[in-house]
Amino acid sequence: MSSVSNPAPSARLVGFLLVLPALAVIVGLFLMPLAISVIGAFRTPDGWGLANFTKSADLYSIDVLYTVGVIGLSTLLIGLLSIAIGGYLTLGENPRAVALLRWLYRWPLFIPFIVVGQMMRTFLAKNGLMNNVLVAAGLMAPLDTVSFLDWRGIVISFVWKQTPLVALLVAGAMASLDRGTIEAARNLGAGRLRILVEIVVPQVMPTLLVGLTLSFVTMMSVLSVPLMVASQSPTVITADIAFRINAYADYGVANALGVISLVITGGVAWFYLRHTMRERL
Amino acid sequence: MKTLAFCALALGLTAGTAGATELTVATAGDQNMVDYINQYLAPIFEQQNPGDTVRAVGTGPGDAGSQKILERFQAQADAGVTSWDTDVAVVHQKFAGPMAEKGYLAKFRDDIATGKLVSSDMAKNALGTNVDGYVMPMFNSQTAIAYNPDLVKNPPTTYAELADWAAKHPKAFGYNGIKGGMSGVSFVMGWVYAFAGDGDKLQQGPFDPAEAAKWDDAFAKLKAFTANTTLTPGNAGTLDMLARGEIAMGPVWVDMFYTWEAGGQLPPNLKLVLPAPGMPGQPMYYVIPKDAAHKALAEKFVALATSPEVQAQGIVKKFNWYPGIDAQYVKANLSPEDWSKLFTDIGPDDLATKAKAFPITPYNNAILEAYERQVQ
Repeated sequence: MSSVSNPAPSARLVGFLLVLPALAVIVGLFLMPLAISVIGAFRTPDGWGLANFTKSADLYSIDVLYTVGVIGLSTLLIGLLSIAIGGYLTLGENPRAVALLRWLYRWPLFIPFIVVGQMMRTFLAKNGLMNNVLVAAGLMAPLDTVSFLDWRGIVISFVWKQTPLVALLVAGAMASLDRGTIEAARNLGAGRLRILVEIVVPQVMPTLLVGLTLSFVTMMSVLSVPLMVASQSPTVITADIAFRINAYADYGVANALGVISLVITGGVAWFYLRHTMRERL
Repeated sequence: MKTLAFCALALGLTAGTAGATELTVATAGDQNMVDYINQYLAPIFEQQNPGDTVRAVGTGPGDAGSQKILERFQAQADAGVTSWDTDVAVVHQKFAGPMAEKGYLAKFRDDIATGKLVSSDMAKNALGTNVDGYVMPMFNSQTAIAYNPDLVKNPPTTYAELADWAAKHPKAFGYNGIKGGMSGVSFVMGWVYAFAGDGDKLQQGPFDPAEAAKWDDAFAKLKAFTANTTLTPGNAGTLDMLARGEIAMGPVWVDMFYTWEAGGQLPPNLKLVLPAPGMPGQPMYYVIPKDAAHKALAEKFVALATSPEVQAQGIVKKFNWYPGIDAQYVKANLSPEDWSKLFTDIGPDDLATKAKAFPITPYNNAILEAYERQVQ
């Protein structure tokens, strides 16, 4: 009988009932609102159409490019810093420095974005803590100080907050590498930087890309940091979505902007999937 | 066992109707709005109505907070709920019109004693919509330009002078654009009143889409002006930058300015000026939903909140707002010093001529969108 491979109908029903609550939560709280938002992007006061997208392109195309630029740059810097941190944890020769770094680098993981925004808002201001310290140390004249409360502030906040997550993943992957490959390279006279770039990083590339993709998607959805640090124009898409709803009660254009950011994150996910698939083949 | 449960239930129900009502007050605005209700109004109300309690729910700062209340009403109306979960709501001017138009609000002003103490036109008309009877003004707040007299000896008294001043002192003027809070929006509206002609038409209507063509020149000027300014992160961001000496001048809410100054967050020497032709301010309104669960008690609450004593001690003295009811009834309840503190920098005459309203909603949205298109 096929009952060995195929459970009896009653057992199948029980199985279905068991996943039903989880399924209902996903459908009701995630898929439904998503579908309503996507559909809402095409609904205009004059019926169905692309007017919301035309308006988004008209008013916010610079903001879309700005978002991709700011978050792309942040992702790049996060990648470089996590390789540097993971690399030192794996290849570092001073045990005290390694222990200190291991203890320090994870702290921002436990700080929410809104708190990061709040800290950076006063830290990076023209007469904020950072510049005051530089001036007091005699490294800068008071008149030469500049405020970093613009795109640079957003990039600094994002990199500060997201690097530990990616570094955690990358350092873990680096630690589980076969030490033999590193020792072999060292025996042949390769320097630490060369080992990192040519031996270690290529082997942890899939993990690095997972971490960066997750960070990119997370940063695309952050509203608090841009609002706290730099809400002026141009600004990131999330701030525009909030403004459309709060100033105009205009869900149409807000939904269209949401779909645009979904397409961007979808594009990143597609790139990542294609890359990992090729790697597996 | 079952009988016992029913008895307990019945007992609970009768106890519920005998007194001990929980009045839910939803308020938009910053934390100070929730504090005002929880720390000032609720204790007085609970003392006057033994057994009843007040629960304040903050829905968030700015228009977003009022938008949430509007959506809550909408959801309950759409669902056909007969007893709404909000008894009193405090909302921004812009949202009172849509609420009244959609029939979410009770007409209660004539039913409460303090309704007669209101004289302001804002109690009848909210940005072009007739709200007569549906709202009680809680307070009026006003925007103005704050400046540091050590850095600015002769503050500009008109928008035109301000534009010249900013051109001569690059980056010394700061404002928060239109996406970082209402003080920046208010500054932009004042700019349009100053440089695009018919402010009265914008404030009173009727809406004419052709009017927008007249703003191009004003926005071109504003774009050049903005290039010479520092953009600040939000209403509080402007005050922060003034306090740290990063900017010398910027638009602020008058009540926030005085509250920060009293709390030591601003240097005490900063001053305010209201440049001609004026800047907009706005009231916050108390409204009662049509299907509020505890309507009689809600009316009692609003009557208390708009009584001359509470308006004097709470609104003016404690929170530095301009009163919602006619000032003559409030003045009698305050010492001359407390009363004059409200007019330290901006006198009653200035307020009478230069305190404007925001444009009616369609103009308001058109101006914001024109700013997004032409200035950013």
